[in-house]
Amino acid sequence: MLDRIFGPRRSRQFHRLLRNGKVTILCLVLTVVVLRGNLGAGKFGTPEQDFKEIRETFYQYRSRRAEPRRVLEELQTEQTTSSATNNYAEFDINKLFVDEEEDVKKNPNEPYSIGPKISDWDEQRGEWLKQNPNFPNFVNPNKPRVLLVTGSSPKPCENPVGDHYLLKSIKNKIDYCRIHGIEIFYNMALLDAEMAGFWAKLPLIRKLLLSHPEVEFLWWMDSDAMFTDMAFEIPWERYKDRNLVLHGWNEMVYDQKNWIGLNTGSFLLRNCQWSLDLIDVWAPMGPKGKIREEAGRVLTRELKDRPVFEADDQSAMVWILASQKDRWANKVYLENHYYLHGYWGILVDRYEEMIASYHPGFGDHRWPLVTHFVGCKPCGKFGDYPVERCLKQMDRAFNFGDNQILQMYGFTHKSLASRRVKQTRNDSSNPLEVKDELGLLHPAYKAVKVSSS
Amino acid sequence: MGQERAQKRGSATLPTSTAPTAVSRTARTLRAGNRQIHKTLNNIKITILCGLVTILVLRGTIGFSSLSPDTDLENQAIIEETNRILAEIRSDKDPEDDNQNQPTTNLNDTYTLGVKISNWDHKRSLWLTRNQDFPNIVNGKARILLVTGSPPNPCDNAIGDHYLLKSIKNKIDYCRIHGIEIVYNMAHLDKELSGYWAKLPLIRRLMLSHPEVEWIWWMDSDALFTDMVFKVPLSKYKDHNLVIHGYPDLLFDQKSWIALNTGSFLFRNCQWSLDLLDDWAPMGPKGPVREEAGKILTASLKGRPAFEADDQSALIYLLITKSEWMSKVFVENSYFLHGYWAGLVDRYEEMMEKYHPGLGDERWPFVTHFVGCKPCGSYGDYPVQRCLSSMERAFNFADNQVLKLYGFRHRGLLSPKIKRIRNETVTPLQYVDRFDIRHSGQATSN
Repeated sequence: MLDRIFGPRRSRQFHRLLRNGKVTILCLVLTVVVLRGNLGAGKFGTPEQDFKEIRETFYQYRSRRAEPRRVLEELQTEQTTSSATNNYAEFDINKLFVDEEEDVKKNPNEPYSIGPKISDWDEQRGEWLKQNPNFPNFVNPNKPRVLLVTGSSPKPCENPVGDHYLLKSIKNKIDYCRIHGIEIFYNMALLDAEMAGFWAKLPLIRKLLLSHPEVEFLWWMDSDAMFTDMAFEIPWERYKDRNLVLHGWNEMVYDQKNWIGLNTGSFLLRNCQWSLDLIDVWAPMGPKGKIREEAGRVLTRELKDRPVFEADDQSAMVWILASQKDRWANKVYLENHYYLHGYWGILVDRYEEMIASYHPGFGDHRWPLVTHFVGCKPCGKFGDYPVERCLKQMDRAFNFGDNQILQMYGFTHKSLASRRVKQTRNDSSNPLEVKDELGLLHPAYKAVKVSSS
Repeated sequence: MGQERAQKRGSATLPTSTAPTAVSRTARTLRAGNRQIHKTLNNIKITILCGLVTILVLRGTIGFSSLSPDTDLENQAIIEETNRILAEIRSDKDPEDDNQNQPTTNLNDTYTLGVKISNWDHKRSLWLTRNQDFPNIVNGKARILLVTGSPPNPCDNAIGDHYLLKSIKNKIDYCRIHGIEIVYNMAHLDKELSGYWAKLPLIRRLMLSHPEVEWIWWMDSDALFTDMVFKVPLSKYKDHNLVIHGYPDLLFDQKSWIALNTGSFLFRNCQWSLDLLDDWAPMGPKGPVREEAGKILTASLKGRPAFEADDQSALIYLLITKSEWMSKVFVENSYFLHGYWAGLVDRYEEMMEKYHPGLGDERWPFVTHFVGCKPCGSYGDYPVQRCLSSMERAFNFADNQVLKLYGFRHRGLLSPKIKRIRNETVTPLQYVDRFDIRHSGQATSN
């Protein structure tokens, strides 16, 4: 067409001009864009960021996992290669551990056994107690010897403040147990690699029952549970004919088969043959791997509202009690008149109200014995609840319990959120005349039986 | 074409005349072809350039992020929020901090630990008579209260808290085996006596609140029990009120600042102890008093570096200058009530081979004390690797003695994993009699 206007040569020139023009403009635009990209383009990002995002997207699609509501990561500082550093922040603790021996390879065809079957434990234990009168199983006529068992991993927590909360938790337990004359066993060893995770308590409990015949009751308590009523003493007489005490509701376990009908984060187990038999029936769902997965499916099917995940000890207990009610129920006490386990979500916001209206010693909704931070998982990276809520509430629960200890010595925390303490009563030149309000310094249940020998 | 035919008719003539024309013709076709190729190439180049520019411009205006899922941004926000919360928890800030600075004691003020009590022995024995069910001697053993503690805020780094946890587990194990109660303190009872001085008001308060306790045993958080069988020979100290590890010649002859160690010592619950605490405390109050006292101590004690007054140097100075206190002080070195870690930790394997628990001395140390490691702070006096691996070894060395009853031990002193050393049995009580430290023949006391 241009040919007709300008003539062939001219049109060719014109075309060439146009082409060159196009290329020039394109190059100019490209230069501008590239420069803008390199010198910074604000929130619209640079090609480098693009690349990163593309890469991340692909990685995300590859490792698709349940979206974490919370991620805790320590900013890794650059590792210095010098091994002679005096700076703790630069040290990678995982380089410290050395296993001198290999894992024992288990024969996969062998069925799991938590230990050789013992059938005469009551007789063995009774005989031993007779021969060892210095280690009675009852420290007072109404008070059995109790061993509180808890524990955590021998490796540091993934969360940088996790170990601090474990420390506060064990201090809290030490305080309660000192006042109530209870011994503590803090476990940091994995006795059986197959029963790892929440199942690790089973081989531990069995081992402790068999190694400590003088212990009448073993009290398992999770590391994320804290005592919030220091004055409450467990009503031991109520359980004189029972062997297992858990917090829960009969209807929810036996009728509804609800997976949270009871809680295995805090329970009492008597040292007897019945308990060994129960552990033998409880353990088979635990072994890591296919067994646990398959058992998990069975439990989700059989129990109400249970989500899909591998078998856990709590669901297994619900299932055993519900399906073998005739065998076990008459020796199991599902306690709900006080908070042997208290779900933190409904308790922690009411502490100020409790302080205003009630006093320690109730153990129930008025002043909970135990506040259990289920789902918070402060030692791990991922929890079911937001970080701030969990950690701040754990601080409050700790201080709530600690105030009852400090008041013995005339101190209290400045507030439930504060680490600082203040004096509540003046120093006296007659310290023994001053009575501590809760009577925790020299409580009746700690009185020593004055023996005649 | 016509030219070709004309050439062919006269084929006898020179054929060379056909070449240039053929070349020029193929050249022309080639040139035409070339032009086409060039044109195509140009078009392709332009297309690619256009494509690139379009992408860049679009990306610039719309942004790639709108195409990817939102969780990335959400995660980023969550991570930032979490880090902020962690930083807040780990800082020393407190919601109850006053805005104004706490007034520190002036040099002229006299500091007192509390109201002066002068007849504590009498009051205490009266109380014990009236409260027979809280005796100070249980089953022939005097009642001991082990006191330890750590600051209420998280350590500067996570490793510190982990070793505090292992340390308290270690103490729990020893105390369970030996029937000793534990108080773990995490509160600053007295703002002025902070840091290492915090033990003084704590010990005083516990003595006065627990008259049934005969001995208060202070132990630092960086000291670990490494002999689970050894018992403190209290009968040796029936005429003494303070039992502390140290060396008399270092104390009196050399006046060394490390002649005694206040990381592990026992105080009897009596008037004498209250008086000693009152005499000990004045160098402690934070501020100019502690600074000045530090200068005096550095000048008087051998080898002491220049820093503020610490409780150990102050006690040494007190005992040297007022030697009337010494009559009731037992300077113990026949066993490691405090054992300096550097000379001990490398020998654990040798000890396991040659000796056995219950000795408490250099053959099998009672306490291994990690002075100078400071895992709760940011910097220690020794390399981190050395400190932490030694603490891990000491912990496992002690833990092996506890696990023996259960038939396990660690797979090496640096391993958190355990292995079985005894098979399970249907008659476990035979092992209980043999291996439970509480009622086996292994328990020895000097």
